[in-house]
Amino acid sequence: MKFNSWYLSSFLISFVVLIPIITVFTSFFESTSNYYEILKNTFLIEYIFNSVALLISVLILTFLIGTGTAYLVSFYKFPGSNFFKWALILSFAVPPYIYAYSLTAFFENYGTAFTILKSLFGDANYNKNIPKFDGMFGAIISISFSLFAYVYILVRASFLYQSQNLIDLGKNLGFSKLKSFYKIILPAARPAIVAGLSLVAMETLAEFGAVDFFSINTLTTGIYNAWITFDDLAFANRISFFLLLFIFSLFVIENLSRRKAKYHFNARGGFKQKEKFKLSGNKAFFAFLGCFFVFFMSFLFPLSQMLYWTIKFPENLFDIQITDLLLNTLYLVFLSSLVLIIFSLISNYGNRVSNNKTLNILSTLSISGYAIPGVILAIAFITFIAWFDDNIVKSLGFLSIKKIFIGSVLGLVLVYFIRFYSLAFNGIKSGYEKINISVDESSYLLGFSKRKTFMNIHVPFLRNSLLFVIILISLEIVRELPITLILRPFNFETFATTAYISASEDLLEAAAVPSLFLILIASFFIIVTSKYILREPND
Amino acid sequence: MTKNFFEIKDVDFNIGGKTKVKNVSFSIKNEGEVICLLGPSGIGKTTILRTIAGLEKIEKGSIELNNKMLSSKKINVEPENRNISLSFQENSLFPHYTVEKNILLGSERNKEKKDKKISLEEIVDLLDISNILDKYPHQISAGEAQRASLARSLITQPDLLLLDEPLSNVDQSFKEEIQVRLKKILNKLKITTIIVTHDSYEAFYLGSKCGIILNQELKQYDDPYKVYHFPNSVEVVNFLNRGILIPAKVTGKNTLENGDLGIIEGNFIKQYPEGANVQLLLQPEDLEHDDKSNLKLEVVDRKFRGTNFIYTLKTPSNNLIPVFVHSHHIHQHEIDEKFGIKRPIYIDHIVCF
Repeated sequence: MKFNSWYLSSFLISFVVLIPIITVFTSFFESTSNYYEILKNTFLIEYIFNSVALLISVLILTFLIGTGTAYLVSFYKFPGSNFFKWALILSFAVPPYIYAYSLTAFFENYGTAFTILKSLFGDANYNKNIPKFDGMFGAIISISFSLFAYVYILVRASFLYQSQNLIDLGKNLGFSKLKSFYKIILPAARPAIVAGLSLVAMETLAEFGAVDFFSINTLTTGIYNAWITFDDLAFANRISFFLLLFIFSLFVIENLSRRKAKYHFNARGGFKQKEKFKLSGNKAFFAFLGCFFVFFMSFLFPLSQMLYWTIKFPENLFDIQITDLLLNTLYLVFLSSLVLIIFSLISNYGNRVSNNKTLNILSTLSISGYAIPGVILAIAFITFIAWFDDNIVKSLGFLSIKKIFIGSVLGLVLVYFIRFYSLAFNGIKSGYEKINISVDESSYLLGFSKRKTFMNIHVPFLRNSLLFVIILISLEIVRELPITLILRPFNFETFATTAYISASEDLLEAAAVPSLFLILIASFFIIVTSKYILREPND
Repeated sequence: MTKNFFEIKDVDFNIGGKTKVKNVSFSIKNEGEVICLLGPSGIGKTTILRTIAGLEKIEKGSIELNNKMLSSKKINVEPENRNISLSFQENSLFPHYTVEKNILLGSERNKEKKDKKISLEEIVDLLDISNILDKYPHQISAGEAQRASLARSLITQPDLLLLDEPLSNVDQSFKEEIQVRLKKILNKLKITTIIVTHDSYEAFYLGSKCGIILNQELKQYDDPYKVYHFPNSVEVVNFLNRGILIPAKVTGKNTLENGDLGIIEGNFIKQYPEGANVQLLLQPEDLEHDDKSNLKLEVVDRKFRGTNFIYTLKTPSNNLIPVFVHSHHIHQHEIDEKFGIKRPIYIDHIVCF
């Protein structure tokens, strides 16, 4: 085996991404403050109970919404079905915390619902008749409508790849439509459902903004509180350890379930394109209504609520520096995408040319960064930098490096890198998997060096994958809250942090402007990528 | 003694930590010669080509080309610096470039060569791929992709060209024509070539020498006529599957005897002592048909091959013997009928084991 520069670079990259995980695991054995005792005797059980209750409720709701809508648009034709096919993924543009602001703004006392009722029916005390979506219930609704699209996209793709032969088989066995759905269609889509729900589970456990807004104490907010209130990094890491164990078991279950069997036909051979069944009359109406309800609830509702407040309180438009926020957000998007793309390309290529088992294992571990909540990553990063600074840098007689990494754009980009590395790495890897290794070998045999092969053969081929990855990263960074909140430089705000800060100061109207811009930018990214996300068997 | 243009000395060929072929030595004397390596699938033929191209390394022996050491335990010239071209069996065209661009990338390699012997147009014409030049690899058939890949390899004008089953995906009807064209191009360009194939007819036609690889060894390396008529081992006979071995006893300097066929005369390739029990190689063309002969055997099968029939005859001791008969032969025999063998039996070269 030859340890070339490609091997070393990808080894280093994988190692950097693994640092937070290593930090969390080593911190487990460190001593903590009294906060641990206080918490153990008071709120720890509540944290765990809330996390589990939130998780189970969100999983049930996202399964129902995601699978139901995916089934309707994949198997039936009805008015608007082509529109809903992609419109339903716009829900990704609304992060749970912005959904939470909208929900509260609409249903709170004297909120938007109250204003609507007043303008329709005149003055009265409607407050007691308006349902309140706050606390745990509000968090469940916010997270579910924001995250169901993970299930929707994966299950829809799985439905699309189900061959007509499978449906015909059901008919041949004399199954009704309902029985076919339960006996054939749904079991065949099982891996996609599990994969989608696993993503939802990871995001729910990692969710910070919405649960914090509704004052729900979960393990994630517990980690944040341990750090910010008690300044106890070791204890924050101890909670993180348990949360990570939980997340990793989900990760393993998801991977195992995917590996078990081949659930869909290959594009070539054996696959017969499905013909969608055309609905009419009441059935068409209810299918439309179902999809419209989900689209309205997940996207139109928060968008219009934010738009309404922006128009109602136009002064907020001038209170915040929109240009600065936009430039800051785009600056982070640009830097992070650049770093992620360059290093993911190097790492992928290093893996390809080295073909080394250790490196493969390291890469597989390092892409788990996406499963780690942003709060944990940020705090583990601070822990690591503090340790490195105290034990290595200072003992060598150098000046402290804390300021270079903590509260700086560099630190922020580095943690984004760790968090979204798997997105970039896997996106590029899936492009690479389409290039047969003999293509590389042909290139060498045509006299191209490894570098020239990379630049002249791989990069042009991966162009589309790269574009897709850049936009996905951009979307994630625009929505990202906890890492930015913890690690951003002083006075450096993004749309997400501005919205969060206004909301946490009970200034929901002021949160509307940054939230609206965030939704619009994210929607733009989603529309650009929808072609890739919703790719069909014949594309 | 003049030095060989290409030489492999005592090399073990390995892939993925496993030795595929051991102790291989062979050489190509002159530049421009074409040789073929024959062997069953999975035996390690491709590994040999990959190693010569520099894609795999060696731990033992040496590989030299044009007086330059390419591979040894200590030396390994990178593939991009060898000026060796390998045309893979599977599609290895660059998927994001058209066929034309793929071929032109090949021409970049030796563009400084002033004595350009072939142009893109000529290669395109010879391999009949003008209609696919503007297509992408996924838009063409496997056979077309193979020809495009071959064109790309040829246009680089390498010092050594390696072709891995170059026509395995080409339609049977078109294969012979392409073989003729390929031979013509290789002759014209005088490119030293090693072709790997499992098709013995292809190897016998294209190669001036053939190597037979069996059981992790290069069993025989000789010109095609000798490989066919003077196989040096029972394994080679079985692999070529063009004859059978029957028991016989050496009865004299030029004769031997088989219980079913009687006395057989001819020239021994290798001498055996009188009275020795041997296995005699009988090839389809060794026996002649003669309905008037009193040596009659039962027909158990008849294969029509267009230019000829191959009859399979059963001897009283249950040996199955193949016999070649011209296609226009009028006395056709059905299965279960008797088939006469001309006597005395004379075989030009007697091969025994």
